[in-house]
Amino acid sequence: MTGHALAGLAVANSVVLVVGTCLLWGVRDLSSWAGVARLSGLGYMVGVAALGVAFTLELVLGVPFGLATMGITCVALAAGGLVLGRALGRPRPRGFGVERQGLALVAVSYVALVGVYLEAGFRAGRLAPLSNFDGWAFWVPKAKAIYFFGGLDEQFFRELANPTYPPLVPALEAAAFHAMGSPDVVTLHVQLWFFLTGFVAAVAGLLAPRVRPAVLWPILLLVLVAPRVVNRSLEPQADFLLDYFFALAALLVALWLVDRRAWQLCCASLFFAGAMLTKREGQLLAACVVVAALAASWGTRRVAWPRLVLAGAAAFLLALPWRIWFRSRDLTGELPSSGFLGLFDHLDRPWPALRSVAGALLDTGLWLFAVPLAVVAIVLALLGGARILPAYAALVYGLSAVGFVWVLWSFTELALPYDQDEGVNLLTRLCGSLVVLSAGLVPLLLDAAWRGGDGPEDGPGVETNGP
Amino acid sequence: MVVCLALTAAVGLVYFAKAVDALGDDARVNAAANYDDRELAGGTALGVDQEALVEARGLIPKEETYRLVVGSRATNIGQFTRYFLMPRRPADDARWVVCYECDLSSFGGELHVLWQNDAGVAVGRLPG
Repeated sequence: MTGHALAGLAVANSVVLVVGTCLLWGVRDLSSWAGVARLSGLGYMVGVAALGVAFTLELVLGVPFGLATMGITCVALAAGGLVLGRALGRPRPRGFGVERQGLALVAVSYVALVGVYLEAGFRAGRLAPLSNFDGWAFWVPKAKAIYFFGGLDEQFFRELANPTYPPLVPALEAAAFHAMGSPDVVTLHVQLWFFLTGFVAAVAGLLAPRVRPAVLWPILLLVLVAPRVVNRSLEPQADFLLDYFFALAALLVALWLVDRRAWQLCCASLFFAGAMLTKREGQLLAACVVVAALAASWGTRRVAWPRLVLAGAAAFLLALPWRIWFRSRDLTGELPSSGFLGLFDHLDRPWPALRSVAGALLDTGLWLFAVPLAVVAIVLALLGGARILPAYAALVYGLSAVGFVWVLWSFTELALPYDQDEGVNLLTRLCGSLVVLSAGLVPLLLDAAWRGGDGPEDGPGVETNGP
Repeated sequence: MVVCLALTAAVGLVYFAKAVDALGDDARVNAAANYDDRELAGGTALGVDQEALVEARGLIPKEETYRLVVGSRATNIGQFTRYFLMPRRPADDARWVVCYECDLSSFGGELHVLWQNDAGVAVGRLPG
């Protein structure tokens, strides 16, 4: 049973990779197969986000969910990417090509370490029990409901906990059940392993031509081996997929701020939509990134702002049908019970909320020192002469932290200071997004500090292809 | 910058070793369990009677509804039962009954008990 399920997952995730790579080719040049290989992680994550968003829209529209729908959706998205690429005159990848920066000894060593880590994670996840509360209480039952009933079953999606949580993760898990041939909640952990692996490959592929291996890989490894990531990243919940989408969106926006390649913003917009449809806090995090980017691009606002607003608006439009679906069914729980302004009746809460957020972000037992490292990287980048990247990063981290304070402040049913068990700790989940973000943003900041500026001009081998 | 990177690399390598060790331990523990243990792990933490739920899943047809009736000491198993018995739907008027430490006499002798254990868990069907 497990062998069959694993084979099904391997095939399904290969299809996701192909779909995402076709979409990526639709928005940017992939002139060599070496480039395709380097960006395969990004292609895979684009595929995950695109299929997750498409499945969600189909579910909301009442399209029966099954293997046929999954197959048609994959073909349609892949064909869409290819047609767009043809229409924009993109060259087909030819030859293996030569990436301007080969794999240095440091990079090879760290790739080996990350490989060992992922292999160990695969072995742990392959037979992992479904023991986390949120997993069996509502994430996996929602996925089972989609799998068994082919849609957003009115009874289960009303009665299960957190009915307003978006269905992107349950939809992807239901697709995994179809790929495995049964609702195998044990092997399902391997699907989460694919997401983790795809995210690591995406960050490495995006930053490899720009950031020195000695900067990129130690930081990426530091985030991967943080105890919370080790212990929780393969649980069938939405937290880490949200973190991956958010981190990739924020990283692509950071790259766009210095490169201004349209494909970076296109992919970021897709990841924003993925984040918004993964968990409700995805909207908060996406808003923080957009506001930070607007502020960081103040000097070029006439050109930059319409594009940033368009990217954010497009993502919101993709997430809107789900909001209409649950509001039309009078499902509640999305916002604080006291409303947006009710928090001003609780002015005793901001200070303990702030202390709780600071404590959670600086919890070395869970995150090592990923967030303090980000603060150091921002300072070093500023001292090194960079301006846009450190300003952007400071705003993303700062606004997000303020957003987390707002969550604790306004949801007055949460006792403060907030001190829940780690397994069900809302704040720990929120803070994970900034930790995972550090895997991509900190190397970029330290590289900017090293080079003495934001721009890629004097970098070690910055890619230039693509509009 | 160099100090920062050196510290990051050192901490990363130490925790890399710890992480691989921990994941290896997890893999060994997971491999030692059977499939039911893994699927029922969440319920085990709640003290759910594994055998009873497996029996209920075997007896109640997939397209049927069931009602969970719990005694005063076992009130926290509804969510887990719903997860485990899917696609069977919970319904207040279902013929199939999962009686979890409940009072069987409350059914007035109409419940046809198909399985029962010493812990007071029963699975049965009402006429109709």
